[in-house]
Amino acid sequence: MGVTQIGVFLENQPGHVSRLTDVLEKAGVSIRGFSLADTTDFGIARFVVDKPAEALEALRAAGALTAVTELLCIELPDEPGALDHVFSAVANAGLNVEYAYSLVSTYVALKVGDIQQAQALLAGQPIRLIEQDDLLNSHTRG
Amino acid sequence: MQFARLQEQVAWAWERVPFYRERFAAVGLEPGDIKTREDVRHIPFTEKSALREHYPYGLFAVPLSQIVRLHASSGTTGKPIVVGYTKEDIEEWRYCIMSMMQMAGVVPGDRVQMAFGYGMFTGGFGLHYGAEGLGCTMIPAGAGNTERHIMMIEDYGTTALIATPSYALHICEVGERIGYDWEKSSLRVGLFGGEPCPPKLKAEIESRMHIICTDNYGLTEVMGPGVSGECLSSRNHQHIVEDHFYWEVIDPDTLEVLPEDSECEGELVLTPLAKKGIPILRYRTRDLTSVTCAPCACGRTTARMEKVRHRTDDMLIIRGTNVYPSQVEDVLSTIPGASPHYRLVVDNETGLDRLTLMLEVQPQVFTDSFAEMEGFRRLVADKLRGVLQLGVEVRLVEPGSSERFMGKAKRVEDRRG
Repeated sequence: MGVTQIGVFLENQPGHVSRLTDVLEKAGVSIRGFSLADTTDFGIARFVVDKPAEALEALRAAGALTAVTELLCIELPDEPGALDHVFSAVANAGLNVEYAYSLVSTYVALKVGDIQQAQALLAGQPIRLIEQDDLLNSHTRG
Repeated sequence: MQFARLQEQVAWAWERVPFYRERFAAVGLEPGDIKTREDVRHIPFTEKSALREHYPYGLFAVPLSQIVRLHASSGTTGKPIVVGYTKEDIEEWRYCIMSMMQMAGVVPGDRVQMAFGYGMFTGGFGLHYGAEGLGCTMIPAGAGNTERHIMMIEDYGTTALIATPSYALHICEVGERIGYDWEKSSLRVGLFGGEPCPPKLKAEIESRMHIICTDNYGLTEVMGPGVSGECLSSRNHQHIVEDHFYWEVIDPDTLEVLPEDSECEGELVLTPLAKKGIPILRYRTRDLTSVTCAPCACGRTTARMEKVRHRTDDMLIIRGTNVYPSQVEDVLSTIPGASPHYRLVVDNETGLDRLTLMLEVQPQVFTDSFAEMEGFRRLVADKLRGVLQLGVEVRLVEPGSSERFMGKAKRVEDRRG
């Protein structure tokens, strides 16, 4: 069902993000997409990875505060108009997007209210929905 | 009986320590004048500054050849002070610790593991000999090396742990991280001291480590730990070991003694009753508490002091408003998911006093929604403003970032220049 996002609490201090990416690297996890945003004193790092269970275990063992969210994921062909194509489909389905960010190469992940309903609404649209396993495949292929 | 011991103690101090003789002379008092409890009020108070000014041996009542041990305070609030114990003092102290431990439900045969540092701090050796005196098996592990502590608890079948509450929590967290099952552990009792233990922290340690946590009270200046301790019936109070301590509660502003049955909060004043090495008369502890003489459900008839929540020294004055860290703890305890782990920082970088609360985020309140985290931060700030009548900046920080000290947790940092 879509892809798994791992959100991690961050204090705005130098080195906090690299500490997390270091943990993921040591756990043999490949980051397929990420988003970083902050308020004035704290931030939340969001990761989509190839092996969410391993990533979560490693981050928790390192003492990180984590939250798991499922995201809708859509293929984004690398050609002019592709993003418009995707967001038109999302708009046609009447979906509200809280936030979205690109993943490696040709995917875009979107935070929507009810992911199952969103997928059902988008079923008739001319776009390709991506599942967690697709991320693993693209990684092993490379 | 208690009063007779007090009279002896007063005479001992007056005869042997020039400092007391001078203080008595200044107010026209002699030991023979002390005949009733009322008369005690004429004896001048002793403050910590007296111990500092007479550092190291100026207040000792016996030659150093009769002192079998020295201890010193940690010096967290200034220069260290040093105290000396005769053989008899050590015996009396051991008795006090034994009483305190029995109140906490420790029995002969308990295996007691020490996680205080030994050294000059009174907590280590004080509780060590008390536990041995009670007939416990003492495990003198000392401070630090948390994983080794957990291994010893497991391998030696430890039943009681002596630690600061913040270090006990650290042991608990490290155990959880390495997969130690606290519920199956032999550990039964926590004996906490060295720093105040907020009720929420105590409850958290109790539920995570599956033990009963008790805390006890004492201070180096009057002996060390063993002044009072928590029984299992009255969790918010501590029985004063009245055979050994004469207590009074005063108004810290007027210095008037509050009536014994008033149960009003004030500053605790203590006189140890049998201290040969360094007698201390009417010591101003700076600790704020109230004392009740009402009978306790445990059957003990000694007076009980409320857990010390704050000290007159802890009070912060911010833009003219008085703030105690314990007020912040009270507010946090009413907010679901708010962690009891925090630090307060005061500065005046912008020219105006500013109070910042650095609050650790607990896993159960963390979501990856900014709106929700911001809402939580604002809820804490609003509640604090309501109680303190003061704007407080709230910053969310990672769990474990407030240091868990093996000694005293430093919760307040005043950076005002």
